[in-house]
Order: sequence, then C-alpha cells, then structure tokens
Amino acid sequence: MKDRLIVSVSPHLHKDESVSKIMWLVVASLIPAGAAGVFIFGISALSVIILGVVSAIATEVILQILTKRKITILDGSAVITGILLAYNLPPQVPFWIPIIGAIFSIAIGKQVFGGLGQNIFNPALVGRVFLMASWPRYMTSFTQPFNYDAVTSATPLALLKKGKLFENISYLDLFLGKRGGCIGEVCILALLLGAILLFIKGYISWHIPIPYILTVGVFAYIFGPKGLLSGDWLFHILSGGLILGAFFMATDYVTSPLTRKGQVIFAVGCGIITAIIRLWGGYPEGVSYAILMMNAATPIIDRYTKNRVYGAG
Amino acid sequence: MKKFFNEFLKGIIRENPTFVLALGLCPTLAVSVSVTNGIGMGIAATFVLLGSNIIIALIKNIVPARIRIPCYIVVIATFVTIAEMTMKAYSPALNRALGIYVPLIVVNCIVLGRAEAYAQKQSVLNSFFDGLGMGVGFTLALILISAIREFFGAGTIFGRALFKSFEPAFVLGMPSGALLVIGLLLGFFNLLKMRKEE
Amino acid sequence: MSAAQFLSIFISAVFIYNVILSRFLGLCSFIAISKETKPALAMSLSVVFVTTMSSIITWLIYRFLLIPFGLTYLRTISFILVIATFVQFVEMVTRKVSPAMYRFFGIYLPLITVNCAVMGVAVLNSDMFFVQGKPVAGSFVYATFQGICVGLGYTLAMLLMSGIRERLELCSIPKAVKDFPLAFIIASIMSLSFLGFNGFKF
Repeated sequence: MKDRLIVSVSPHLHKDESVSKIMWLVVASLIPAGAAGVFIFGISALSVIILGVVSAIATEVILQILTKRKITILDGSAVITGILLAYNLPPQVPFWIPIIGAIFSIAIGKQVFGGLGQNIFNPALVGRVFLMASWPRYMTSFTQPFNYDAVTSATPLALLKKGKLFENISYLDLFLGKRGGCIGEVCILALLLGAILLFIKGYISWHIPIPYILTVGVFAYIFGPKGLLSGDWLFHILSGGLILGAFFMATDYVTSPLTRKGQVIFAVGCGIITAIIRLWGGYPEGVSYAILMMNAATPIIDRYTKNRVYGAG
Repeated sequence: MKKFFNEFLKGIIRENPTFVLALGLCPTLAVSVSVTNGIGMGIAATFVLLGSNIIIALIKNIVPARIRIPCYIVVIATFVTIAEMTMKAYSPALNRALGIYVPLIVVNCIVLGRAEAYAQKQSVLNSFFDGLGMGVGFTLALILISAIREFFGAGTIFGRALFKSFEPAFVLGMPSGALLVIGLLLGFFNLLKMRKEE
Repeated sequence: MSAAQFLSIFISAVFIYNVILSRFLGLCSFIAISKETKPALAMSLSVVFVTTMSSIITWLIYRFLLIPFGLTYLRTISFILVIATFVQFVEMVTRKVSPAMYRFFGIYLPLITVNCAVMGVAVLNSDMFFVQGKPVAGSFVYATFQGICVGLGYTLAMLLMSGIRERLELCSIPKAVKDFPLAFIIASIMSLSFLGFNGFKF
C-alpha cells in the first residue's frame, strides 16, 4: 500500500507502518465496544453495525468507480466510518437509518472533499448529525439494556436533562454499560480496552482525550445542579458518548490539529462545548456537535500553532 | 434582438443569481420549502427586479455616485411596497405564506446587486432583459430547490401528501438542508457542464 | 446593566445564535468572500463597523423619532436607509484606503447594505431592548454591544470558513464541486453542527 504524501509542517514523523495498517488496528480496537454493545442490546445492534459497514464500503466503491479514482476501501477507513457511525446509533433503529447515514457519511463527509486525508469533518459524525436532524424520533428512541424485547428507556443524560435524579444507576452500571444509549458508547470498559491498545501502539496520544475528558469533568463539577462545586463529574465522564468520542473520534488524524499544542486547544474546545450543551443546551448530549465544531476550527488552529522552522525568527 | 435574448438567457443559466452568483440566499433558504411559495416569491421578486432595473437605468445619469446606494434603495423599496400591496389585495393566502419575506425583498441581494452591477451602467432596454432573465433564473432556481426540499423533506407535492409510509428527512425543511441541496445541485450542474465540454 | 447580561449577549451573538451559522443571515457574502482569509477578515471588519454604527443610529432613530411620533411601521424602511448611508460611507473609505481590496470586493461591498445580518441586528435590538415602546434599562449600551457582537459572530464564521477553504486549496477536490458547491456543503455541515446549540437556556 503506497504511503500518501502528508501535507504538513515539518518535522515529519516517519512511522514504519502505512496508513492502512493503522486503520485496521483502529478497527480492531473498536471491536470490544461493538461486541459489548451487541451483548447488551441484542442482535439488532449487530445488524445495525453490519449494515453501516457494508453501506459505507459500497458507497465508497461506487463513488470511486464513478469518479474514476483509485478504489481505496482496503485502507480500512470506510470500515472505520461505518463502524463509528453505527456505534453512534440507538440499537433499534430501522434498517434504512444506518444505510442512509453511511451513504451520507462517505459521500458528503468524505468523498466530496476528495477522499481520505482531505475531509475537514469527521465523516461518521457528519452522518450522525444528518440523521439526527432528519429523523429525530428514531435517533432518540433508546432501549433498555439486556432487554432484547426492545423496551424503551431514556439514557442517563436524558434523565439528567429532565431534572430526574440518577438514583437507579450506579457508576459500575455506567462503566459496564448497563444503561440505555447508543450501541458503541455504553460499555466504557470495552472502549478503554480498545483505547489502551491504541496507546500502546502509539497511534493516539493523551493530548486530545485527556484534556477533553478533564474539561468536561471540571465544568460538570463546577456548575453542579445544587450550586457551585456540587457537580457529579464522574457521572458526566461515564455517561453519553464522551469516552467513545474522546478516544476514537476527536483523535482522528485528519480532522484534528497537527501540533501538540493545537491538539490540546482542540480538546479543551471540544470539552467546553460538550459541557455547555449538556448543562444548558436543549439536547442532553453534545459530543457529536462539539467535535464537528472544533473540526471546523482545526485549520485555523493549525495556522496559529504552526511549529517554527528552525533557523527562522 | 438576439442581443436582448442573450441578456435574458444569461440570468437563467450562465449567471444564474442563486447558483452562479450566490445572491439572494437568505430568502431562498427560507422560502424554498414548498413549490407554491417558491413560485410566489419568484414572481414578486421578478416584478421588483424589472421595476428597479428600469428606473435605475433611467435615472443613472442624474444620481450622483456618492449617494447612489440610498437612492437605489428608495427605488427598490417603492416597488417592493407596490408588490406587497398587490399581493395583499389579489393573493392574501400567498402573502401570509411568504410573511416577512415579501418586505424583505428590499434586502434581497439580487435586486441591489443587479442595480449596482448592471442597471447603472447599461441602457434601459438591456436592463429590462437583464432584470427579466435574473428574475426568471431566480424563480426557476427556487422551483427546483423547493421541489426537492418539499418532496424529500416533507413528503408532499404542492401541499398534497404522497405515500403514507414515506419518512421524510426533516433536515431538508431546515436551512442547513437547503444549503446542502443548493450545493449538490450546483455540483450536479457543474458535472453536466463538464460533460458537455468534453 | 450587569456583567452577566453583557456576557449573555456576547455568547449568544457570537456562538449560540451565530448570525450566519444559526440565523442564516448574511449568507451571500459568506459564500462569496470566504475563499481566502485576508479578504474575509477585511469584509468582516467592514461588517462589524456597519453593524455597530447602524445599531447606534437605528436605536436613536427608533427611540427619538419613530416611537414618539407613532411611526414604528416605518421601521424597516428607515433602518435600511440608515444602513445604506453607512455602507456608502464605508465604500468611499475603502476605495481611498485600498483600491485593490475595493476592486476585489466588487459588488459585495455595497451589498453589505442588504446583508440581512446588518438589518437583522437592528431589528433584533429594537425588539429585544424596547418593551411596549419604552427602552429598557441600559438599552442603548446593550444595543450597541449587541451590534458589535453580531459583527464578531459574522467574523468568527468567516474566519472558520476561510481557514477551511484555504486548506482545501491544497487538496485535489473533485472538479465538479470545487469552490461554490463545496462551500455550500461546508456551510451546511457547519450549520448542522451548530444545531447543537438549539434550545439554549442560561
């Protein structure tokens, strides 16, 4: 697999592995979360994941044939987009939701920009936000965990937004995934296992996930429901799509800043926006929107945190 | 005669105000949710465009350049008021549907844009055909965009619902969806243009 | 007047209800002038100036002319005339100071007159800071500040968009969507992401 030319400021890091090897390892690191999702929510979750992945691959192939560009599905990036989109969907969505979402993610989120490496926005999140705006009813119908008959339930963050206290759910429940939510976001344990794999291999660094999560925690703690400094930061960190987003979506190479300093700024920005949407916005969860907004800011962040060329200035 | 026809055609395709010049976007986004609204707005805007282009071309030598913008606005506002009163009298339902966007034709970039770019430099007859072409181009763009948005975003045509089981994509009823439709349509037209050139 | 109110106006105007990405006003120049950062910032500066000055003048007109004489129905037309005058002024200055920039802007400079953002903030000020024909406490200062902030919100959107489009210049975009089509699609995605701020309550 040819290495792509990376347009960025020097110094360039030369990994001995190609882009596709990184991608497929990311796929591997995502498997525990998906397996957990299927275990918690049943077979419908598996079909959502499969539909998402297959649609993503098919869309990319078809578009690349039509535009006479090289077919790149073997680099694994379409698979990642399909997986991440599916992980951001409720387990019982109608079959056409992941299909349309994946088509939109690949076509509008990625190929319209010219393909991998050139997209500005995280493709999976582009698809998710499109689905959310188009079919909100389906995108906000969640089911109870371990109840394969699809009994509806609200997610912990949704309950929080309505002002209902979270008495019935323990931190352990949140950590293991015993709660309503999207397929790939609920099992924190599985997500962290995958993230550790990526850390060990050096494919992600702490500069994005940790500041992101810390910022959300700090805001949640300060602006607690019962006055200042009373917030339940652990609840916020373990709920919603924060862990999934911080480790697997905000860290996407293409759509996040190049420099370490830029990455921290990016992460803190994501954290602030996520926190204020959760605390004061109309929606219970803000991770998708926050990451997309900061994706838009990434070119500007890169511009103003450029590394100095040695010998100049 | 052919020259005038070219001026007219220019506004429809080559310099379509919505797709090529990126003018008049705010009302386009808001009004293009249904085809009937699109047609209504298009006709009203065309009327204003014609009126203002003609008058401005007539007075262009009298108006000092330093105060031309406020003067043009007065001319445009006059025609908008005429259009609004006519609509209220003969088509009150449409007037209600278009709401504040009728008086807001005053701030429709297309009208002032054509006055600035064309009518103040060209003859009255040329300005007439330019205004006509731009107005028709704008109307056609509105019809096309609102047809897509109405069908896929609300599942209706001319207000009549179609299949029962069709789940419309609400985003198309929102301005974000309108921007998407415009972008994709524009890309599609460019594609056609590229194919034609081969 | 309180600091909280100022903070609220700032955050609302610049981020939560961003004039371009949430209210969809001022789109024509947003799509047309956002290809490079320098012209984008120059246009933004002009817009900030016009929104601020027209916020001031339209407030004064509303307070001392339209309300006392019962002429509030003339709001739209009087506001637009004020704005038109200021834009004419900006145009004269730009022409003198930087003829290159003046030529670059083309018709989009006089089009600030009909930039819905400018008209929008003037109307918003008179709606928000007058109650039943009387100005609220601190009305004038709030209105002016909001004028500045809406201009800043416009600047933010232009800055983001021009950064994105400049980066895309380095990439091989499919020819059919180069420039405007992609700009519309980017605007669409950006505004979709700003939907996250819906329903905000401080």
